Amino acid sequence: MKELAGRLTALDPDAGAAVQVIAYFDRLAESRAGLEALVRGAAVLAGVPARLVDGERRVQVRVEADGTRRDSGSPPDPAWPSAALSPDGVPALWLERAGAEPSVVDAVILERAAGAVRRVLDRTRGRAPADDPALVETLLDATAPESARLHAARRLGLDPAARARALAPADGPPQVVPERTADEPPAGRVGAEPNVPLAGKAGAGTVIPPTGKFGAGPAAPPTRKAAAGPGVPLAGKAGAGPSVPPAGRAGAGPTIPLAGRVGVGPAVPVLRLPESWDAARVALRFASEEPGRRVVHAEELGSLALLADLVAPGAEPPADVLALEAAAATAPWLLATLDAVASTTSLRAAATEINVHHSTLQDRLTHAEHLLGWPVRTPQGRFRLQLALTLRHLTRP
Amino acid sequence: MSLVPPPFDPELAAALELIKDVISPGLTLDQIDEIRQGPGIALLAELDLTLDGFFEVEDRKVPGPEGAPEISLLICRPTAPPASGPRPIVYHVHGGGMVIGNNRVGVDVPLAWAKEVDAVVVSVEYRLAPEHPHPAPVEDVYAGLVWTAEHAAELDADPERIVIAGASAGGGLSAALALLTRDRKGPQVIGQVLMCPMLDDRNDTPSAQQMAGVGVWDRTANETGWTALLGEARGGPDVPAYAAPARAEDLSGLPPAFLDVGSAETFRDEVVAYASRIWQAGGVAELHVWPGGFHGFDGFAPQAALSQGARAAQLRWLRRLLGS
Repeated sequence: MKELAGRLTALDPDAGAAVQVIAYFDRLAESRAGLEALVRGAAVLAGVPARLVDGERRVQVRVEADGTRRDSGSPPDPAWPSAALSPDGVPALWLERAGAEPSVVDAVILERAAGAVRRVLDRTRGRAPADDPALVETLLDATAPESARLHAARRLGLDPAARARALAPADGPPQVVPERTADEPPAGRVGAEPNVPLAGKAGAGTVIPPTGKFGAGPAAPPTRKAAAGPGVPLAGKAGAGPSVPPAGRAGAGPTIPLAGRVGVGPAVPVLRLPESWDAARVALRFASEEPGRRVVHAEELGSLALLADLVAPGAEPPADVLALEAAAATAPWLLATLDAVASTTSLRAAATEINVHHSTLQDRLTHAEHLLGWPVRTPQGRFRLQLALTLRHLTRP
Repeated sequence: MSLVPPPFDPELAAALELIKDVISPGLTLDQIDEIRQGPGIALLAELDLTLDGFFEVEDRKVPGPEGAPEISLLICRPTAPPASGPRPIVYHVHGGGMVIGNNRVGVDVPLAWAKEVDAVVVSVEYRLAPEHPHPAPVEDVYAGLVWTAEHAAELDADPERIVIAGASAGGGLSAALALLTRDRKGPQVIGQVLMCPMLDDRNDTPSAQQMAGVGVWDRTANETGWTALLGEARGGPDVPAYAAPARAEDLSGLPPAFLDVGSAETFRDEVVAYASRIWQAGGVAELHVWPGGFHGFDGFAPQAALSQGARAAQLRWLRRLLGS
């Protein structure tokens, strides 16, 4: 019976051949065929040897028209019909047809085979886009099977044995960043390791490599190269504002989005990232639009985190918060002044932060205390102010 | 048992896309004529049987079974003189579901072996069902073997080193031929190559049921072929082993067998069972079940990795058998 049909041999370049080519590669892709099968398909359909050369990923496959795998060390002839694996890439898939006239069938073979090859490479050789939101979603989903979450971690370039933290930006999708380890190379290694994604590549992404690779430690400011990338990592909070970074964190923190409020979850084993994500979202509620307080680490909240359970987003604000809002409405400087007082170690530091003279600050605070109805320069009063400012963030819808 | 068949191998699934317009899974009796006239057979006649001048090719009319017409043998002999004494013979029986084909069909496979092991290929033409039901086909095949053994010397070949080989219906006829030569004490055969052979007229194995309407040569096509050969007797209690070798009570005393089959084809289970029964009878058999292979996959898609593996396994077995 098998002899009934014609052989699967080189296609005639007549009508219908292109349709068959498309059906052939669609079917290969559907059944998750590997690279050799795809290159063989191109060779068999074209009737000439086909080769795939991807220097970046060190892939080289050559198959002859009879389906035999026979790799070759000689370089491809630039005159051969070829296709790139990406719109702006260099030629990677070749049909070894010398002196070829442009042919529609060749073009369809190359286009279809190259597309399928690219998808296989992405799937198998770790070129998953770092910003794949579906992978991050899986990683942060406590109900997803562990195997699926470990798979997602690997695809995102995270070491399943290392620790990572979840970030919850107010604007934008969840992110996951590896925890920086103490034995990472010192600053100034940008570009030294070709396998480490550079900031430029990770910029649009969701998984951001450890800051240490970019020389963003306190002793070494970010190099020009790192700073040029669209996704410039910040070293902890060191460059993010005047607030003092927590001890030991400078230069060791994850890379954080440049703008907007962000909650940062604790560093955990990758399988516990859903917990880090929950904590990051709680931390986000404590973050303020003020430049220095836009990034909040869950680990620094301590018992304050308990407040998040007491005050639901969008809830009716407590009386002190209402008083704060009423006072803020009377003068544009008021909220920033109180915020500076609440978040610095002395009135002098507060005056410096908001660029006013010490005596001006004293005058403003007297005015504010009158509007609020409680002192803000006593320990208890300052605590009451801090609490009111915090609750104001938590009641944010 | 699941009615869902094993998935096709990726490359074979893609190849099936290309041939699906030419070949459909099923076949009915009234389609036989159409397929006999179709382009497939003519296409195969264009094969270069000399393999670039390696073989000289001859069509020889030889006596058929007693009282029956002559039969035609395609004889392909290497043009070079034999390296060391008379050559072995690959006696080839073509496929085609018992109802179609000629002695050119599929002969490229034994020719490729013969080129490697320096053998003579003899491919027999036999009368086809339904015009010529059992035992016409197998008796023609037997008559051709008798002539070949008796005239081996004319072909610079060794009558003591004949390997019989066939695919699909040709595999079934080869298995039947091995039974016949054993029982009639006919020509000595040293090996039987049964490629995806058609062995069992009952057509009721799990694989036959799984492959209904899928792939190549499905359950309907199989019923058509067997009904053409056996008429109303198909599947009944009185089908002789020489028609359907799976019916043989005794599989002892047979020449060493090579069997292969795809996991996604109608014949899977009957081929596996046949090999097992040869072993149970104390015989020698090598069995390959190629995962995701449809019926005749290595012929339809010889470039696929699985096909290359299947062809290589056939040749390796033959080399071991012939001690070359």
